[in-house]
Formats: sequence, C-alpha cells, structure tokens
Amino acid sequence: MRLAVEVAEVDLPADLEQRFEAVLFDWDGTAVADRGADATAVRQAIEALCAASIDLAVVTGTHIGNVDGQLRARPAGPGRLYLCLNRGSEVYAVGAGGPELLERRVASAEEECALDAAAEDTVKRLAERGVQAAIVSQRLNRRKIDLIPEPEWSDPPKARIGELLAAVEARLRNAGLDGLRDAALIAEEAARAAGLPDPKVTSDAKHVEIGLTDKADSARWVFGELWRRGIGPAQVLVAGDEFGPLGGLPGSDSFLLPVEAERAVAVSVGREPTGVPRGVIDLGGGPDAFVALLSDQLERRRRGDLPRLDGDDSWMLSIRGFDPELERVQSSLLTIADGVIGTSGSPVGSHPSARPRVLAAGLYEGKGAETELVEGPVWTRLDGELPHAVAFERRLDLHAGLLRQRLGRQPDLESLLFSSPEHPGTVVLRATGVRALLETDEPLEAAPGTSVDTGEADRATWMRQPAGEGGLVVAAGERSEGDRLDRIAAYVADPTGVPDTEEAVRRLEAAQELGFDRLLAGHRRCWAERWETADIRIETDDELQRLVRFALFHLLGSAAESGEAAVGARGLTGPAYRGHVFWDADVFVLPFLAATNPRAARAMLEYRFNRLDAARAAARALGRLGARFPWESAGDGRDVTPSHAHDQAGRIVPIRTGELEEHIVADVAWAASCYLDWTGDAEFAAGPAPELFAETARYWASRIRRDRSGRAHIFGVIGPDEYHEPVDDNAFTNVMARWNLRRAATHAQGLVPEAERETWLELADALVDGFDPDTMLYEQFAGFKRLEPLVIADIAHRPIAADLLLGQERTRGAQVLKQADVLMLHHLVPDEVAPGSLEPNLSYYEPRTAHGSSLSPAVHSALFARAGRLGQAVESLRLACRIDVDDLTGTTAGGVHLATMGGVWQALVFGFGGIRATGAALAIDPRLPDAWDALELRLEYRGRPVRIRIEHDLLIVDADPAVPVSVDGRPGRRFERRGDNWEEEGK
Amino acid sequence: MRKVLAALDNSLAAEAVLATASNLADAFGGVVEALHVVEDGDRIAHDEAEAAGLRLHRVTGATVAAIVSAAEAPDVQVLVVGTRRFPVEGHPVGGTALEVITSLLKPVVVVPPDASRTGLRRVLVPLEGTAPTSLAPKGIIELSRQANVEVVVLHVQDAASVPAFTDQPQHQAAAWGQEFVARYCPWGIGSVTLELRVGRRAEQILAVAESHDCDLIALGWSQEVAAGRALVVREVLERGRLPVLLVPVVRLPGADKPKEETWSRSQSSLV
Repeated sequence: MRLAVEVAEVDLPADLEQRFEAVLFDWDGTAVADRGADATAVRQAIEALCAASIDLAVVTGTHIGNVDGQLRARPAGPGRLYLCLNRGSEVYAVGAGGPELLERRVASAEEECALDAAAEDTVKRLAERGVQAAIVSQRLNRRKIDLIPEPEWSDPPKARIGELLAAVEARLRNAGLDGLRDAALIAEEAARAAGLPDPKVTSDAKHVEIGLTDKADSARWVFGELWRRGIGPAQVLVAGDEFGPLGGLPGSDSFLLPVEAERAVAVSVGREPTGVPRGVIDLGGGPDAFVALLSDQLERRRRGDLPRLDGDDSWMLSIRGFDPELERVQSSLLTIADGVIGTSGSPVGSHPSARPRVLAAGLYEGKGAETELVEGPVWTRLDGELPHAVAFERRLDLHAGLLRQRLGRQPDLESLLFSSPEHPGTVVLRATGVRALLETDEPLEAAPGTSVDTGEADRATWMRQPAGEGGLVVAAGERSEGDRLDRIAAYVADPTGVPDTEEAVRRLEAAQELGFDRLLAGHRRCWAERWETADIRIETDDELQRLVRFALFHLLGSAAESGEAAVGARGLTGPAYRGHVFWDADVFVLPFLAATNPRAARAMLEYRFNRLDAARAAARALGRLGARFPWESAGDGRDVTPSHAHDQAGRIVPIRTGELEEHIVADVAWAASCYLDWTGDAEFAAGPAPELFAETARYWASRIRRDRSGRAHIFGVIGPDEYHEPVDDNAFTNVMARWNLRRAATHAQGLVPEAERETWLELADALVDGFDPDTMLYEQFAGFKRLEPLVIADIAHRPIAADLLLGQERTRGAQVLKQADVLMLHHLVPDEVAPGSLEPNLSYYEPRTAHGSSLSPAVHSALFARAGRLGQAVESLRLACRIDVDDLTGTTAGGVHLATMGGVWQALVFGFGGIRATGAALAIDPRLPDAWDALELRLEYRGRPVRIRIEHDLLIVDADPAVPVSVDGRPGRRFERRGDNWEEEGK
Repeated sequence: MRKVLAALDNSLAAEAVLATASNLADAFGGVVEALHVVEDGDRIAHDEAEAAGLRLHRVTGATVAAIVSAAEAPDVQVLVVGTRRFPVEGHPVGGTALEVITSLLKPVVVVPPDASRTGLRRVLVPLEGTAPTSLAPKGIIELSRQANVEVVVLHVQDAASVPAFTDQPQHQAAAWGQEFVARYCPWGIGSVTLELRVGRRAEQILAVAESHDCDLIALGWSQEVAAGRALVVREVLERGRLPVLLVPVVRLPGADKPKEETWSRSQSSLV
C-alpha cells in the first residue's frame, strides 16, 4: 500500500500495515531531525493519538528541558504519553498540565564518585594512548566524554553521522586503537575499576558515555507499564533511527529492543549506514516518515481497524476449526464474563450446532429445585451463516480478556468481543469483513423459550425479560459503516424487580459516548490489573502454565466486585447445575478471590450474609437454633436441592444432600474466616462476620448431641464423600463444626455473651473426631472400618465414578470414597488435625478414593504436595487442569467447573507454595517439583500486592510496602535453602 | 413415494414381516411391495399378501441374491425380512437373514416370527456415543419426528466406558444427557427421550425396549459378523421379540480412533 499523508508519502511494509496499541520511539533523529527542528507535526500527531487511546513513549538520552521544550505536547488522554529520559534514569507522564515525574533513578554518593572517577580515568587512559578527550558534561547518572573535541565537530547534525563516525574512527586508529569499540572497552574497564559493577557504556559516535542506566532500562519500564495496561509487545511499534551497529558498538536504538520487546514491530527511519539488525524494518525517511507512521495509525483508528491480539501462547486459548460435536464445549471454554454478564464464545455467525447464550449473575427463575439461572437475550449474533469447510479460528487472550474470531483465509469476517469489567454488564463487538456476513436485522435475539418485550429508543434496541421476582433489561446499539460493524450492549439485571429500560439505555449511551477504543483500553487495563495480583508462573512447564492461566481467567470473571455475587457451580460460563450455589463457591472459589481480588470475595460473602434470615428459618424449621445454610442455594437462600433424580445409570435415586450435607454451614463460616485472614477487612470483621460466626456456631450447638459419657456427636449426615449416607460422626463434619465453634467463640466476642461462648468451647472439646493415636488415622465416620475393605485403586483405573461402576449398594457398603473427606481437613484446617497425621491418612485414604468428583484431583494435588510426593502432585494437578479442556466429565458444554479451577489455584498456592494467610503473617513453606525451575505467585495480602518467587534454592517475597512473612518460622524477604531449611539470605 | 419391500418366505414369519412392513409404511408414508423367492411353495406368502390386499411379486433364483437384487432398486427405502422361520427365542439368526443384512447397503428390518403386530408408536434408538454410529439412525429419527412416532434414545455404558466423574447426580445426568443428545442426535433435540443405563449393552437394550413398550429397535452397525464382531446386534436379534432396523454405518475418516481419543485428548481444545 502507498500511503499518502500530508507530510510524506511512504511505502508501508506488510508488518506496518496494522493497528498498534502503543508506539515507543526515539526522539533525536526519529521524531525530530535535531534539537532545533519544528516539532509541530509530531506534537499534533501525538496529541491526536492519545485522544484516540493510543499510548506513546519517548525514549531518549537527553533531559526533560530539551524534549518537553521542543515537543510541548499536552495530551488530554485517555492514551498516555511517557517521556523516558536521561538514558533510562527518569520517567515523566505528560498530561494536559504538563510533565509529571513518575520515577527517577537517584545515584548514591558512592556511585557519583565512581562515575566521576570512571570518566576521569577514561580520559586519562585515552590520553596515555595519544587520544585527547574531554569530559563535556555531567548528566544525571552518567558521564559524557567527547572523543573528538574539535570545533568542526562541536555540534554535528544527525545527517552527518557517517562522516562523524569516520572522523572519530580515524582519530582513534591513528592512536593505535581499534576504533570506537576500543574506546568503549577502555571506558568500561575504567568504570569497573572505579567500583561500578554493571556500567552502561554507550556511544553516539562523538561521545562515549558511562552510566548507571541506559535506554534499555527505559524500554523495559515502558513494556512493563504497557503490560500493566493490558498491551503486549506484539501490539507495540518501536521506532528509531540508529538500530544498526556504529563503530562495532550496538546502535543506540537497539537498546529500545530488550528481551521484553520480543514480538514488537521495530522500524528504523534513520540512514543506518551499516544496515539494521535482523527483524528491524529499514524504512528510512527520517522524522517525516515517522510522522507519517503516526498519521497512519490515527487513520486506522478513525476507520475502525480491528486490534490484534498480543499472541503470547502462554496467555492464549486457541481453537481452530468448527467441530459441531464439540462446539458447545468450546464455546463454554471461550466464555467471556465480567462477573455480571457471561457470554459464550460461540461463533458470531449462525450455525445449527452453535448455541450462543448470555447468563446474568444472580438472576434466577422457577420454584424450588427447578429454580435456575436465567438465560438472557444474545447480543453477539450476526445473521450471516457460518459457511462449511472454511478456515475458522477463535482465540481468547487471557491477559486482556479479549475474544477474537477469524473466518476464512482472506479473512471474510473478523471480530473482537469483550465483556467489560470496567463497566460490568457492558459488552462490545467489532466486526469487519464482507458485507453479507455483517448484515443483521436486529442486534439482540431472545434466548430460546423466553418471553421478552422489545422496543426502540433513539439509537438503541432494547429487550426486557422478566425473571422470577426481578428481570433483565438489555439495550443495544450498532453502527455500521462500509466493511465494519460496531455493536455495544448494556445489560442491567435485578433479582428484586424488572429494571427500567431507561437505565439500560442510559448505560448504553454512556458506553457509546466513550466509544470502542476507550472501552477497549479500559477493559484491557482492568484485566491487566487483575492479573497483577493473580498470575501464576510455572517455569519450564508450558502446557501446565497455559492451563493454569486458563483456570485463573475463568475464576477472575466469575464474581462481581460490588454488591453480592452468587457464584454457581459453572459461574457464568454455562447453565449446568442450574446455576445453583454449592460449597464449591465458599470453599473452592472464594479463597482464590480473597487472595487476589478481595472485593469480589467480599461480594460472595455478602451473598451468604444477605441470606442469613433464610438460613435462620431453615434451622428453625428443623427445631434448631442459629442458621443452617442450604446445600444448594439460588435466589432467596432457601434450599433448592432436588429430592430425587435420575442418575447416569437410569435409576431414580433419592437425593439427600439437601437434608444431610450439613458441613456447608461450617464451610460458609470457613470462607468468612479465610477472607478475613487474607484481607484483614476491619469493616467485615466488625460487621457481618461476628453474626455469621455466631449463627453458624449456634446451629452446631443445637445440632450436636451428647452421650451419657459426655462425648458429643453429630448423627446422620453426609460428608464430602457422598457415596455413604447417612453416616454418624463424619470426621470432616465434626472437625469443621468444632473449628466453627472455636472460631465463633473468638470472633463473636462482642456479640455473644461469654456464657454461650463457653458452651461452644465445651462442646467443641467434647466432639468426637474418630482419631486413633495408635494408627494416626481418622475414621471417616463411625463404622467405616467395618465396611468391605475394597481398595478401588487395585480394581479400576481412576478417576472413575465408582457408584456407577459398582452400583450404589456395593459402593455404600465398601471403603470406597468419592473424594477427599478426612483429607479435606488436612487441606482446609491443618491446624485442627493431629500433627503428622497427613501422610498416614493420605496413604490410607487415597488408594480408596475413586476421585469420582471433579474436585478430587486438585485437592489431592495439594495434599500430595504437602506430603512431599511431588510427582503425584503434578500429575493430579495436570488431570485437574484438563477436566474442562478435554471435557472429561462430558458436561463442560454446560459450563466450566469453577470449583475445580479454584482447586487448581489452591494446589499451587496452598499445596506447592505452602502459603497460608494468618492474621499475623504470610506463612510460606514451599515444595518445588524438580521438573519446574521456578514457581512465581502473585497475591494480595492485607491490601498489598505480593510476588512470591520460589526457586529450588531461593525464595523471594517481593511486596512494597513489605508484608510480614514467616518462612520456617523466620521473618524476611529473601531466603536461601540450607539443607532442609530456609534461612534468610546472607545471614 | 417410499417403498417398503417385504420379503415373505413360506413360513410362520411371513405374517409378522408383512405386518411390520405395513406399520412402517403407515407410519412414514410409503407403500409395501411383497416379494417372494420361489423355492418350495408359496401358499403362506401368497395368502398373507392377498389378505393385505397386495400382489405378491414372485422371483426365482438364489434366495439371498434375488432378495438383495430386488432391494437394490432405487425406489426401495427399506427391506423387511424375517429373523428365522420359527418363533423360538435364543435361536441364531437364520442364514438367509444373516446373508441379506451383511450384503445389502440399505436399512433392513429383521422381524422375529413372534413380533407384535401392533402399529409403530415408539422406536428405541441405542447410540454408542460416536459420530458414525449416531449418524446411521439419523433417518429413522427424522422420519419418526415427522410421523409423531416417539423416539427413545438409549446410551449404555459398560465397565469400560463408565464416566470418570459424577459430581452431583441430581444435575450431572441431566447436563450429560443434554449434551449427549446435542452431539449425537442434534436433529432430534427436543423430540427424543434419553435413557441412560450401565451394564451389558444387549441386555439393557432389550430391557429398555420392553420397559418402554417400544415397537422397533433401530441399530447402526458395521455389517461385519466375523467372530467377536456385532455381538450386540446378534444378541438383540437372537433374544429379542421386536423388529430390529439395522442401518449400515458409513465409515467416516478417522472413525477408527478409540473412543477415549474422540472424547478427550485428541480433541484437546488448547492448541
């Protein structure tokens, strides 16, 4: 393509024929010809690009006065302009009010002395070789030595760089030196001799500079900052004029391409006398060409080019082709959700096997066990049919939360979709392609079997769908121009009443006012910020790395960050399990959010707290005190567990979990405690928490029965191993109840009289737990040892649904477990079980466990890791990670298994990391498999972001400000392995 | 007009064959043609055809070849033959029926002599859970929908195919079944009843056919009867008292992959 712009005509190579999200560029010689040049054109382009949501960064060796004095840009945003100055030592952000210093590297007094000494020593060494040089200025964190202090070369323009280099090289060679390279080596030797361990020596041909930083530090900062704004290197254009080597030294702009810039597109507009390094586009044309490139980017924004994804495989879920058999599974995997609305990743084109759907969090309809999450109108459909036998690819960028679809090789249709956590409920589609595929009658389509009102309002189409006591309203508008379609929709859901259409229309208009680019920038930034306290890096296991991020992505999208969050078994990724809320939410999902996104965790607790009255009523109905939370919960907090069902063997089976699986009461209290441990949320600790603890404890106090000897029991329950029902004194239920009573006695002090709390403590002490100190085993429930001693590991390939394989009766009469039961205690409340009891119980119960629950592999991964069986831990983790991507349950079409994903996080953080949050400190006791080089975990503890890096011999806890840490009982930030122990580094 | 070709021999099975052919034609809108290969007399065949108001087409030659040749006519949609001459359960499928069903690349209904003569109200369609075997009965499911004939889809899991996970049975079977129907009878979503069983396949097929009062069993099959093959088809034919529609399976590329492969790792979505 030949690009005609006002200032230049430039032939654009193919790699430049794309929309970039950010531009990083050199100043002198790239953006302007020299320091005296008129910068009006580049200033106007920069301000316009910032207004179009593009981020820009100038990276140069000079200081703020020179650059800002010449540029004088005052962009109003939303795109950012950064000035990275003084060769890597300063960063300014420039807004409408002018530059604001963000960061400055400040040299210590010793470093300043060393720089002076290094410069003087360099001049001296050169003089000894017969070269007269001079220290010309003492810049921030560096010293500049003029290699050719002659009047003719006092201020050479960039255009004479070739002549200058020849003159300097001739001068140095006359003194017997091998050109500029030798001069740099002399400077580096002098710097090291002066005590600078890592001197940054550079040259612009005329000078050699010794510094503490260089332009690579700036570039690294820029790429890091862009990443934190959701922009990856492949979306960045890097422009300079001196990438090629100069006198045997790397070109000054080659420092703009550190390893962090891998996948960035680099272009040189300079003369480059020795050519450009491989991978850099040699465009030439000087500042005019650069301004033309900026203008081209502006034009691409104006006409609505589709943004590209970054393309880092470790952050990407890609599905190629269209498989009618697996389509519904794949669209569940590709769901995009913002905690309020979840949209399946179905093709935007029509196909009979595709089943696009939108789910709204917390919006249920139906009665009793039939209560189910409501499907709302679909906003993603285009009328064009998905052709047969055509290339089709969907890519989900996990870091930026973007779903991109590409149909055909040309392509015929490309689209980008996102569901904005910045504006929850607002969803955006941009599609480009052939007109026939873009055409659409209506932007919204009612879900099958639903009844909606529809209407028009100004630039919007709306649908209103009653559901239960409440309802859902969505307003959508679209703009179609040429080969492009932009569609925005705004959903408003309210379980207590049908929202006004005006509210949805108002939100839509607000989103339309912002426009696609601003919405996209905000969306990307929100996702990137979430990852800053949630990412997990597993070094040297690429497959597991991607699977883990896939799990974290869905966990991050599962809950809203305000109000209340009802997180069903499949979140917003599918309708299976009717959207009912199980212990999955409290025990498996909430810990992840408590440690990564506390506001969402709080919203989950608000859901439970707001249903405390229903739980109280449930307890009263059974003649008990306190609050009894339901096994399955939906809109109003009443139990919605069915009383019977067909199983996969076609039998009608009674379902007694609603009646008997009462550990959910303690699970809710445990979730609240977990949240408090990670966040220290004083408002929650003083408000809802005491009531939650007190009411759950009261329930147990009224539920527990004493025998004549005074021992306390809980009769007739179902434990996590649901193969056996009902059972007496289930160890898990009893110990969790004991923990609940004790925790409530502490946390409900201001709310509950001392006498009542004393009663709780007595009961807790009296509760039997089935522990046998001789064997160190907990009996899963009274009588478990008398069951048929069947070791499922010996007779079947696990995981296996043992109840289907053996039949319910045989399973019920045998020592076969569905999932961890006793061992859940070692996982959830390790301080409540006997020290040293993990290994004997793991050895005893694991072979007897069928792992017929999708929760089991992840929990066992954590347990294996704690027990030091790291090979088994990794294999269990891998299995847990593949449950959805391989559809191992056959039900991923109905949504992904969020609790399994929460379990994956727990395996890595609680299991391998050995990380526990307490009120006092973050306790860390890592176990790193040999196959992994490192495990790096990002968390939030007590409001502070924390990075924990675990290597085989080094443990780093990075938090600013610091957080209290305990490793092998020692505080500190860096620890080294000594034998079996961790010691603070250097001590 | 669809043609149902009823191959009548001169045995007690002729009545059941003709009744089944008539039921199919009535339900799905077709005409019955009665065919007899002259061997050792045709009185029973003639009488049955006459009673049904049909003209008996007599042909000569080798029995199997003659039936197959007639059935290969383009207008014949389905062939109906008898399982065996006498109504004795547990006896092997007759030689003629066996040769016909392995020779003809068209749907064949095999009718035991003691099959019910009642109309066609409910069809049992056992599905393995693979694309090729589920495509085979597609036609009968579509026809049944149009004819308001109820379809009961049955999937039987044996010890080797029991699912790995059953989280909450009150939801699991529904979610699993919904997706099974969407995958393997997408043309029948909303119009089929899915039954799930665990056990021996043939045994469960016969049991569900009886418990659900089905009139026809439709099975996709590979037409291979070598030792160890088509065990389910053989057992259903030998022990069942219902007509069985056998639909040859069209082998799709890659269809020989083991089941585990099609369900899981080879379809891995992370590429």
